[in-house]
Amino acid sequence: MGRFFKNKITFLVFVTLTMFIVMGVSSNNGNLSWMNNSLSIISKPFQKLTLFANKKTNDFFYYFKDVDKLRNENEILKKQVDELQEETRRLNDYKIKNVELSKALKLKNSYDDYEPIGANIIAKDMGNWFSLFRIDIGSKEGVKRDFPVRTSEGLVGRIEAADVTSSKVTTIIDNGSTVSARLSKNGSYVLIKGDSELKNNGLCLMDYIDPDADITIGDIVETSGLGGIYPKGIIIGKVKQIRKSSNDFSKYAVVEPTVDFKRLDQVIVLNKKK
Amino acid sequence: MKIKIFIYCVCLFIIMIIQSTILDSLALYNVKPNLVLVFIISVSLVRGGVEGAYVGFFAGLIQDFITGKVIGFYALIGMYVGLLVGIFNKRLYRENFLVIIFFTFTATIVYELCVFFFGIYLQGGDGFLYGFVKIILPETLYNIIVSVFMYVFIMKLSEIFNEQDKKIRKY
Repeated sequence: MGRFFKNKITFLVFVTLTMFIVMGVSSNNGNLSWMNNSLSIISKPFQKLTLFANKKTNDFFYYFKDVDKLRNENEILKKQVDELQEETRRLNDYKIKNVELSKALKLKNSYDDYEPIGANIIAKDMGNWFSLFRIDIGSKEGVKRDFPVRTSEGLVGRIEAADVTSSKVTTIIDNGSTVSARLSKNGSYVLIKGDSELKNNGLCLMDYIDPDADITIGDIVETSGLGGIYPKGIIIGKVKQIRKSSNDFSKYAVVEPTVDFKRLDQVIVLNKKK
Repeated sequence: MKIKIFIYCVCLFIIMIIQSTILDSLALYNVKPNLVLVFIISVSLVRGGVEGAYVGFFAGLIQDFITGKVIGFYALIGMYVGLLVGIFNKRLYRENFLVIIFFTFTATIVYELCVFFFGIYLQGGDGFLYGFVKIILPETLYNIIVSVFMYVFIMKLSEIFNEQDKKIRKY
C-alpha cells in the first residue's frame, strides 16, 4: 500500500512537471499543433451550429422589439442618405486629387501590403477574466501568428495562435495586450493596454501619455504602426475619461474602442503580403 | 470502463460547446457560470478524487486548447481541484446538498483566485478587489445554482457506472 501511494505521488509530480514544460513550450510557440488541430477540427462544426442557432433565436426575439424603432430609424436614415450622397460626390473629387498628389509624392499606402480575409467567430472565452476568441480560418487560409485582426469599425486584436482550420485571437481589451498608438489630431504617441477591470465594460487603458500632450475627451486614437504587428492608421477608439495618477506627474486615460466586443461575430484578418 | 470514458467524453464535449458559445449571451452583469469547474467538482464528489483528477485534467486541457493562453494552465488547476475535492470529501456524507454547495463555494473561490494570481497578477495586472467583488463572488453564486442540477445528473450517471461494474464482475 505504501508503495502504491508513493507511485501515485510520483505520477502526480511527473504530470505536473510535464505540464510545466508544455506551458513553457506553448507560451513561446503559441500552440502544440497536432493535438490542437485534431480537437479543433472535430469541434468546429458543432460550435458553428450552436452559435448559428443562438443568433437565430436572439434575432427572433429582437424582431418584435425592433419594428417601431426601425420605422423611426428609416425616416432618419432616408434623410441621411441624401446628405451622404452629396458628400460622397465631394469626397470622390478629393479622392482623385489625393491619388494624383500621392503619385506625385510617391507615398506608399500601407494597406496595399495587406490582403483582408473574412472570418466568423466560433467560440468565445470560457472564463470571466480574459478576452480571447476563436475564429473559423486557420493556417490553411494562410493565417499566421501576430496577424492583425480588425472589423470595418476598428481594431480588434491579433492572432495568438493559428491551427489548420481555426485560430485564437487576443483582443485589445485583454490584459495581455499592448498596442502602440497615437492621437489622430496631433500625432503624439501613447500605449493602449488591456485592463482586467475595464475589460468587463469593453474599455481599455491609455498609458505613457506625454505630460505636455494636448489631450481632451473625445479625441480619436489610431494605431501608430510602430512595433511591426499592426499597420498604421487603424482606428482604435475615442478617449472617454482622463485620470491623473496618484503622484500627479503623469496621467492616463480610459479609451472606448469603436468595436463593440460584446456583439462581435465577424472579423477581418489582415494577411501580410510578402 | 470503455463506456465510462465514452460518456465522460460526450459530457465534456457538450459542456465545452455550451460554455464557449451560448453561455456568453446568458451572462448576467458580464459574468457567466463555469460549467467545466462545476462538472469537475461534481464528478470528484460523487466518484472520488482519482476520477475527479483525470476528468479535471482532460477538461482543463480542452479548455486550454479552445481559448487558453498557454497549454497546460487550466489542465493543472483542474487536476488539482478534482484531486483535492475528492480527498477532502472522503469522510463526508455524500447524499447531502449542503456538501455540494460548500465544496462548490470553496473550490470556485480557490480556482478563480489561482487564475487571477497566475493569469493576471503575475503578468503585472492589478484590480484584486474589483475582481473579487465583481467577478469571483457572482460567479460563485451562479456555480452553486448550477452545481445542484449537475450533482443530480452525476448521481444518475454514477448509478449507471456502478451497474456496469457489477455486470463486469459477474462474468
